[in-house]
Parts: sequence; structure tokens; C-alpha cells
Amino acid sequence: MLEVEQLSFSYGRRRALERVSFDVAPGEIVALVGANGAGKSTLLRILACLLMQDSGSVRLDGVDPLSRPVRYRRGIGYLSEHVPLYQEMTVESYLTYRVRLKGERQLRVRRRVGETLEACGLLEQRQTQIRLLSLGTRKRLALADAWVMHPKVLLLDDPLAGLDPSFRRQVGAILTAASSRSAVLLAGHEVRELAQWCTRFVVLREGRIVGLYRVDEHSRAALPDRLERLVECGEDAGGAV
Amino acid sequence: MTVAHVTWLREVRAYCGALSCGLSVTAFLAAAGWSFVMLVRRHEGSVLQVQSLWGVAVAPWLPVLCSVLTMRLLAEERSSGMIELLMSAPVRERELVFGKYLAALTVVALALAFSALVPLAWLPAVARPLHGTVHAAAFAATYLILLLQAAAWCAAGLLASSLFRSQAASAVVSLLLCNGLPVGVYAAVLAWAPSLRMRVAWLPMLVHVYDFSTGLFSTAVIALYVTLAAVLLFVCSKRLALLRVRG
Repeated sequence: MLEVEQLSFSYGRRRALERVSFDVAPGEIVALVGANGAGKSTLLRILACLLMQDSGSVRLDGVDPLSRPVRYRRGIGYLSEHVPLYQEMTVESYLTYRVRLKGERQLRVRRRVGETLEACGLLEQRQTQIRLLSLGTRKRLALADAWVMHPKVLLLDDPLAGLDPSFRRQVGAILTAASSRSAVLLAGHEVRELAQWCTRFVVLREGRIVGLYRVDEHSRAALPDRLERLVECGEDAGGAV
Repeated sequence: MTVAHVTWLREVRAYCGALSCGLSVTAFLAAAGWSFVMLVRRHEGSVLQVQSLWGVAVAPWLPVLCSVLTMRLLAEERSSGMIELLMSAPVRERELVFGKYLAALTVVALALAFSALVPLAWLPAVARPLHGTVHAAAFAATYLILLLQAAAWCAAGLLASSLFRSQAASAVVSLLLCNGLPVGVYAAVLAWAPSLRMRVAWLPMLVHVYDFSTGLFSTAVIALYVTLAAVLLFVCSKRLALLRVRG
């Protein structure tokens, strides 16, 4: 579905990504992990068409974002690290605006917004102004925004950052539900929590992929320790899968 | 609904709920009203018509209103990070720019219409000599040229807004672009060629307003403002597209 090949990017002289290649299949939840500055957000920003790579290619079901940008972007949903939202709008009016902006037909807007609010547990807050929401609820709204059109791939930058355990569980449940319709690629630091519902890990270090790990029932318990060691020191005794 | 329509709707609603928009429109109406009263007093008994006085009174304040209204349109999106969500959505930059531009122009058009109420309706009712001399058609022509000018100033303001994250910086640059540049060029031309002083006694922007208000239409002038607005909007959408290259 999503294929990333030999992707490189630099900020001036500083190399942020160095020939990164991987793919994401439908139904997968893939986590990008790595220390700060490893290139996770840069990679997601390139995949979300917010940056243009220096070299390499990205394809979503064969669609190249450089040659068919609008069609490519129709297939992605992006959650930014900083959760920017229009503060003066209510939850429902914001989501309605976003659905219309993304090109949904007028007759289907209300139904789609209603379904998404319910799926993300936002029905009670539908008339609340965004400025009055807690960070956790804002994150869920931003997630609802990314997912509302059921894109082929969800790109989520640090969806768990700043959330308490209960909100993290809720986000995990939403993502697991979302993965039945969309592939999910997310960046984060919370390896232990991510291991509970991610199917694969991509470990980045200084802009390079240093490990690809598939999560199964056998590896789920031991993997977080190995990944944390790899992220912190660049060492992995077990070897990548 | 198209992207431009959805964006226009959101921005118009945001303007309606924003105190800053209400204050700037009120300040514009007060400044334009004060200028109009001053001009009426100064030209009492002259042959100048009411719509000309109204047009010339309003025109200098239009760039200020346009700068203040457009300063937040893209600068705020950039500073809040919303631009990322807009740019990752399946929309074209030009549609986004056009929607925001139309929203600003809508507010300016309404402010202009409000500013015409006193000279068009109230003044003829209280001043007997003006009975029958004030015509809506003459005001429509003046309104047209003011709207054309506002179209260019709003486009310049939107372009300035796309250049900065700070709304204040965007407003200052936009003001310099709309007010400072034309006045500067005019002053420079007069300084270099004093012989032109008789031929261009007024700033060309005011001359255009005066000409239209007296029925002297010029397609060249219309084309000038429409082209200016189109070019500035095109540059603005390219500027947004350029943000993708280096973030």
C-alpha cells in the first residue's frame, strides 16, 4: 500500500533522513520509534506532503505525491505533533468544516461526522468549544479529524504524547478500530504501550533505519526492552527481524 | 461545496465572531465618516458631487482596513500550525487562497456598503439642497472602483500574511505595500519631474476614484486592479506551495 524507497532529506547541511526504505500494508499499525532528532517527524511530514524529499520516492497504491498530489492526499490522514485546532469552533463544527474541506458530499457530511464523533467518544463534547477541551480530548478530536474520511493510511505524529494512561488506552482502542479500514503509521516514544497494539516497529537512528521488528505474541513481552536499548544506545543483542 | 466555498464560509464566520474584526470595521467607518465630514465642510458650495466626496474620503482608509483584515488569514495558520492540516488535506493551494481572499473581500464590501449609508440615504434626507441630486447609480460606480481597489489591497495583504508567522509583521508589510509604496512612488515621481505636478495633482488611486464617481469609466483602470489582484493571489498560492519544499 504505502511504499517508501530510498528516501533522503536534509535541513541545509544536516542530514535528517538517509535512504530510508520500508512499506506499510493494509491493516498494519507500524510504529516509528527513535530518540529525539532521529527523523521520525521529518519522515511523517514528507509522507504528509508538508516537506519535499531530496531524493527517493513515496507511493500510495502506486500514486506518487509529487505527480498527483491531491489524489495522494485524499488517501492520507495526518495528525500533527502539536495538535493545532481552531480554538473558537465547537467540536462538531470543526469536524464538519474539515469533512467539507476534504470534499465529502453535502448529504453525507452529517452522517460521517456523527459516526466519527461516536467512534472517538466525542459525542458528549460535540457542542463544546475547542478552547475548553483538555489535551486528551483535543488529541482525540485531532485523531477524529485525521480518520474522518477513512483514508488509506493514517500518519500520526506522537499521538500519545502528554496523555495520561486512561487517554492513552482510549487512543489505542481508536487506532485498533481504525486499523480495520486504514493502515496506521505513527511516531512515538512510548515503546511499551505501542507494543500492545502495534504490529511492526521501525527503529530510526540519526536518519537511518537500524531495525525492523514484527510484533507477535512471542515477542510482545520482550520486545520493548530490546527496542529501548536500541533507541538509547544503538545496541540490540537479539537482532532485527 | 468547493474548497474555496468551505474556506470562505469558515473565514466569514471567524470574522463575525472576532472582536478585532468588529473593532477594525468600526474604526474604518469612523475614520471614513470623519474624512467625509471634513471634505463636505471644506468643499461646501463647490461643484464636487456627494459620491465623489464619499469615494475620496473612503479610499485612503481602505488599504488600512484590508491590511488589518487580511493579516491573520495565513500568518495565524502558520503560527498555530493549522497550515499543516490544511496543506496535508486534498486541497489545492489556489483554492485555499481564493477562499480566504473572498472572505476578506466580503467583509470589506460590507464595510464599504455601510460607509455609503450616510451620504446616500441620511444626508439627502436632512439637507434640502441635496434632494434629487444624489443618485444610487453614481454611488454604484464609485462603489465599483473602491471595491476594485480593495480587491488589490486584500490580495496584497494576503500575500504579506503568507510571508510571516507574525500578524503584526504581516500588517506592517501589507500597509507598506498598499499605502507606502504608491505614495512613495508618487512622491518620487513628483520630486524627479516637478513639471508633472500640474498633470498629476492627486495620487492616481484617488484620481481613479474621482473619475469613476463622475462617470469617467476606464477599462484600463479596471484591468489594472483586476490584474494586480490576480498576480498577487497567484504569487501567494505559489508562496504556500513553496512552504512544502523547506517547511
